Amino acid sequence: MHHDNGIWVSTEDLSREESFLQSAEREFSVETIDQTDGKWQTNRRDFLKLMGFGLGAATVAASCEIPVRKAIPYVTKPDEIVPGVANYYASSFVNGGDYCAVLVKTREGRPIKIEGNSLSSITKGGTSARAQASVLSLYDNRRIQFAGKVKDGQVEKTDWAKLDAEVKEKLAAGGNIRVIANTILSPTAKKALGEFLAKYPTASVVTYDPVSAAALVAANEQCFGVAAVPDYRFDTAEVIVSFGADFLGAWISPVEYARAYSANRKVSGKKGAKMSRHYQVETHMSLTGSNADNRVQVRPSEMGAAIVALYNALTGNSGGPKVNDKAAAAIKKIASDLQAARGKSLVVCGSNNVAEQIIVNKINDILGNLNNTVAFNAASNQRQGDDRKMEALIAEMNSGQVATAIVWGSNPAYDYPGAAFSAAFAKVGTRISLNPTLDETTLLCTHAAPANHALESWSDAEPKQGHFSIIQPTIAPLFNTRQAEHSLLEWADSANLNRQDEQPYYQYLKSFWTGTLFNNQSRYSTPGAFWDMSLHDGVFESPSSGKSVSFSASASVNADAVSRPSSDELEISFYETVNIGNGQYAHNPWLQEMPDPVNRTVWGNYLSIPVESDGKSIKGWNNLEDGQIVELEVNGQKIRCTVVRTFGQTPGTASIALGYGREAGGCATGYGVNVNPLLRNEGGFTQYYLTGARVTPTGDVEKDFACVQHHHTMGVFKNDNKSVNVDEAVLAFQGSLTERSIIFQTNVKDLNQLESKMEEFHEHSGHLNSKTLYPTNEEYFGTGLKWGMYVDLNSCIGCGACQVACVSENNVPVVGKNEVMRHHEMTWLRIDRYFYGDIDNPKVVYQPMMCQHCDNAPCENVCPVNATNHSMEGLNQMAYNRCIGTRYCANNCPYKVRRFNWLDYTTADVWPANEERVFHGAGDKTPFYADNLVRMVLNPDVTVRTRGVIEKCSFCVQRIQEGKLTAKRESRAIQDNDVRTACQTACPTGAIVFGNLNNPESEVNKAQKNAGALAYQVLEEINVRPGVRYSAKVHNANEELFS
Amino acid sequence: MQLKRICWVFTLLIAATLSLHAGPTREAGKELFGANCAACHAKDMKTASTGPALSGVEERWAAYPKKDLYDWIRNSQALIGQGHPRAKELWEKYKPTVMNSFPGLTDEQIESLLLYIKEPVVAPAGGAAAGATEEVKEAESLPWFYIGLVAGLLLLAFALMRIVDNLNNVARVRDGKAPVYRTMREILTTKGAVAFFVFGLVLVFGYKTVDNATRMGREQGYMPTQPINFSHKTHAGTHKIDCQYCHDTARRSKHASVPATNTCMNCHAAIKVGSVGGTKELTKIFASIGYDPAANRYISDYENWNESQIEDLYKKWIGQNYMEKNSLPALDEAGRSTVEAEWEGVVNALKDDSNGKIQGPIEWVRIHNLPDHAYFNHAQHVSVGQVECQKCHGPVQEMDVVYQYSTLGMGWCITCHSETEVKFKENGFYAQYNQEYIKMHKSLVKKPESEMEKVYVEDIGGLECQKCHY
Repeated sequence: MHHDNGIWVSTEDLSREESFLQSAEREFSVETIDQTDGKWQTNRRDFLKLMGFGLGAATVAASCEIPVRKAIPYVTKPDEIVPGVANYYASSFVNGGDYCAVLVKTREGRPIKIEGNSLSSITKGGTSARAQASVLSLYDNRRIQFAGKVKDGQVEKTDWAKLDAEVKEKLAAGGNIRVIANTILSPTAKKALGEFLAKYPTASVVTYDPVSAAALVAANEQCFGVAAVPDYRFDTAEVIVSFGADFLGAWISPVEYARAYSANRKVSGKKGAKMSRHYQVETHMSLTGSNADNRVQVRPSEMGAAIVALYNALTGNSGGPKVNDKAAAAIKKIASDLQAARGKSLVVCGSNNVAEQIIVNKINDILGNLNNTVAFNAASNQRQGDDRKMEALIAEMNSGQVATAIVWGSNPAYDYPGAAFSAAFAKVGTRISLNPTLDETTLLCTHAAPANHALESWSDAEPKQGHFSIIQPTIAPLFNTRQAEHSLLEWADSANLNRQDEQPYYQYLKSFWTGTLFNNQSRYSTPGAFWDMSLHDGVFESPSSGKSVSFSASASVNADAVSRPSSDELEISFYETVNIGNGQYAHNPWLQEMPDPVNRTVWGNYLSIPVESDGKSIKGWNNLEDGQIVELEVNGQKIRCTVVRTFGQTPGTASIALGYGREAGGCATGYGVNVNPLLRNEGGFTQYYLTGARVTPTGDVEKDFACVQHHHTMGVFKNDNKSVNVDEAVLAFQGSLTERSIIFQTNVKDLNQLESKMEEFHEHSGHLNSKTLYPTNEEYFGTGLKWGMYVDLNSCIGCGACQVACVSENNVPVVGKNEVMRHHEMTWLRIDRYFYGDIDNPKVVYQPMMCQHCDNAPCENVCPVNATNHSMEGLNQMAYNRCIGTRYCANNCPYKVRRFNWLDYTTADVWPANEERVFHGAGDKTPFYADNLVRMVLNPDVTVRTRGVIEKCSFCVQRIQEGKLTAKRESRAIQDNDVRTACQTACPTGAIVFGNLNNPESEVNKAQKNAGALAYQVLEEINVRPGVRYSAKVHNANEELFS
Repeated sequence: MQLKRICWVFTLLIAATLSLHAGPTREAGKELFGANCAACHAKDMKTASTGPALSGVEERWAAYPKKDLYDWIRNSQALIGQGHPRAKELWEKYKPTVMNSFPGLTDEQIESLLLYIKEPVVAPAGGAAAGATEEVKEAESLPWFYIGLVAGLLLLAFALMRIVDNLNNVARVRDGKAPVYRTMREILTTKGAVAFFVFGLVLVFGYKTVDNATRMGREQGYMPTQPINFSHKTHAGTHKIDCQYCHDTARRSKHASVPATNTCMNCHAAIKVGSVGGTKELTKIFASIGYDPAANRYISDYENWNESQIEDLYKKWIGQNYMEKNSLPALDEAGRSTVEAEWEGVVNALKDDSNGKIQGPIEWVRIHNLPDHAYFNHAQHVSVGQVECQKCHGPVQEMDVVYQYSTLGMGWCITCHSETEVKFKENGFYAQYNQEYIKMHKSLVKKPESEMEKVYVEDIGGLECQKCHY
């Protein structure tokens, strides 16, 4: 069944549900104040009381003395610090195996923003939402603030010397010592660990990853003799097949892969348009699947069969289990596509089954991809975990053979599959945690030796072999914490750690670089120069070359060893989200409030169920609706979770995200459900799916089910499917029109048709817009500066890095789950997700939507106090202190990008009110932004907005002003590099370009010209003249696939 | 008859108001006034500002030759030095505020100025102008003028009411009714009078409320006591040290920044005894950074010194200087109390409840405070606009104790942005704006051709909200 205009946002949209149409009519949630809960019943007497208080308070304030403010200069000012001017330091974002080269922006010595480091050949200046948000976790008041013993869920303060003495005594007492860690990327940390292991011969390290890729590494060891993740070259691949690997979202190195992937996906102009083709075989619609040209739906238990099907199609074999007919037919066609692109194709697989990974390796071998798109020159170190070792450790602990366990940055009590860990861990005599927060594992420990945050630490990383990266501190440790490596060296009585130094580990790190790495290069002649430049650049790359691998004869391809398809009615799969990982990032409110790209839910994990259509109506599986609570029974365990209907979910399956339902350690405690206990282990490897699941509705509905899908909608039909004209629409539909020009899409082979269609469209809207009494834009904005943006929807993968970057740059408040439920999320930049194509298995367009800075802005002329108006540089300006909160502008905005501060989210008000409603985080008494520690993350160049005013994207006006000032001080014309918006710099794929439209040489102008007629303005025909242009979405689907 | 007289008075009043008209060189005077005098003298010529109200200046100097007034304007301090009686009289009244010197003004220019002072344009009411006027001292004559006006109008109203009553009575008598005579009390309690009274009250209180609300948070004239009696007059005035030598971040950052103690030490490592304060103030700097002035060296482990160690060192230093100054072999009674007093000063300056240590930064009291929602960047004004520091901060080089000179109100900012020329030709940034741009603004702003030769800050968007609020 195909939808009329080809684009839709949700089931309700497709089926014209009355409730949806009603909600689309309204700008905000429909509940009234007295419906919310008991706290907010206001009556006349309250009103009079408040008014009296207000008058009194105003009088008191008016007569008050202005408080004395101090100006405290340095005693001896450091040369590099100029108060009011930002400094940038090259560093790296590392969490377990996750890596991103970054620049840290500091102001007056405190880090406030993460930018990408373009000198890294891995991430090339791109960032992820996780990297962007890492600066907030530095200012987390739930971090452990001193060393001590863990008792009754708290850390009993002791000093480090005492702790060290105690720990050393325990370590020296003998018995097995086990260090439990996630992937360690740092070569210097490994050296330190080596010293520790040398000191205590009974010690060993057990490495696992929160989401395992152990089978991949094990298979590579068998096939190629290299126990590592290969260097996948998505940029040179013309045909990409992914078996359940979410390589753009969460799998191994998404920033690197996204950058490379998008290089082959940019389309401009009709001549010679060429792009790679991407097939995704998966169960749940992942971020990667949503970007794929063709998705093949399989049940999770069929993944092995699907891989075998491809192998058989390529080799002509016929063994192994069989995949469903639809998928089998599709895979045959995929095979011929692959064969046509020999040596220029790439098959990746996210399954944690060695037999399946071996077959995938064999497929790449058959296709000639080895040493081309699957290379081992710079193999990735980003997943080093081994599930089997962890299994062995648990057996060891259970039998009482472990005397001391040291938990280093890992949280197995939460994220280790099943329930075996906690009980086994309790049998260890001394349990030491190096984790920074009181998480589930630390709570089970006897001692806490809290480590610094990465932004307070010296370290390094080798994410890919030969690619080194520095981590340098940008602030002195906020609390009395100590680097984990320092602790280990201290306990190892290392002679190489000079304790007299102010920063002993700095010297230790430096000696490794100047002593060992210095010899890997010839550019710098002295170790000092090498160190200085490495520190400046943040990265040092000396990849080896010419290392080629071949498929080992001893590796056996066994089509019968793959997972067996099940015939159960319902299977459930578990996946890692883009933002939360498997809980490592859960306690970061910025990431919690970033909607899941596909589900668009926040603050929790929800059971994705398939959508069913009978040709007439569209319903959730089993008639379930969004927000209903069900009981999921699987593997003998029952959990209650909330349902969300998801397009593209394979029939007969349901999926739920890992990483939620945290029980300790931070603000996410209690949000969502923990599904790690459900996971099972097969052949030593964690499996992320289960068969034989049962879902029973409970009849309950989650009260604050928070999904932003229907918030700020701007493109729906009316119930009768008839189009409505602009005037009617504004009256009845709040700007929600039929057939609106929001998204254009086509297959790359039909590009010519789309181009001529769009030329017509531009002509038509140009005609509509030409009738004006006023001077044209060219007359007014034709000279000087005119800011504009171009968003390439072909490059945009919907990863959300820009959204978190915007929150970080512009002091956008966190509002919490309940407020999001009430449509009160404050994000200036949202990523709209639209479906098109086949309803059972649709394609997706992501559209970053921010203020469009219309030159003919409808918001401006309805403001009664002129708080929003236009600048001659084409900016739609918002003066917060002039705003009186009528919200007429938000009402009149066709793009729904204006946000109202309903409550005092930032506690910027003079008199605190409604504090109990704003976001606190679990178990916290003060509102999130009232905490002085959290406020250190605020950008001092951007006003913190108070209750009762509208706010919206400013095109990062603070950056524009700064860029202009730099140019003026240097007495030169402004260049593209002077002004880059936060979303632009964050984007891993370069989808967002910003600059001066009046400069014909500017990037933004060139990009728009390149796109030709494919560049359009959203709602171009309504003559609001936006300053943002988008490109039409072009996909490269194999249309034979389902015909 | 009565009515006729009243009408006459009115006509005269109106005529007097309308009788202002322009003179031939007054225009030049206006420009000169704006450039040279307006910073200190109120534009309405009737309000005292930093400098006195200028209206009637020629009359006040009429007893002396015209040249004296010229000399006074060009260099007032010289005239005071010569002992001119009028000059001395003024100095007594206004010292220590020094009037800037304008040696470059020609006689003709001064004549133009005087002409303008005699007949200034009536300032447009409200908004920007009100904000721009720097009201420090109380306004002298204005309230009385208004009080007189109100009293006159009230009398008039009363008289008119009597006339109406009389006319009514005449009519009543003619109709054969008995005349009604209202008492004063009855007149004052009529609906009309009460309504008028209430209306007046609302007007007055409304005005006052708005006026006070506008002033809320403004601190013009704020002159707090600082931990160190640092004199800008000594440093910037007498010794002519460039402002940006100490406030070096002003040219490259949004903040002008209070200099760090090590900046002070650039000079005071050598100048260890002050010309005015002796050891009293400078010891505070040494105690902050840990400099041993007697031995000419920094103390390496100063951080770890306890208070009595610090006390011993600096008391000894103060004592030694006292002895040297007074050529004494040992401290006398007065010397001991001087040492104690100066040491107490050091402790008070560097220690408070929140900071229990002598060592460490000096906590100055911040004078210029902008609200959080206003973004101000010094570099923009100092480096790009090349605005003199004194334009906003006043004659700092003459201030022993710095005070907030300007209102720092938005009206004040806007006035300056409308009056200040952009360095349009000098700065390469504006090359992109080219001639087209100027042409465009001629048509948009509709300024006379002569004024559009210059590009003002407001012409390039200097009055737009998001230039300062974001």
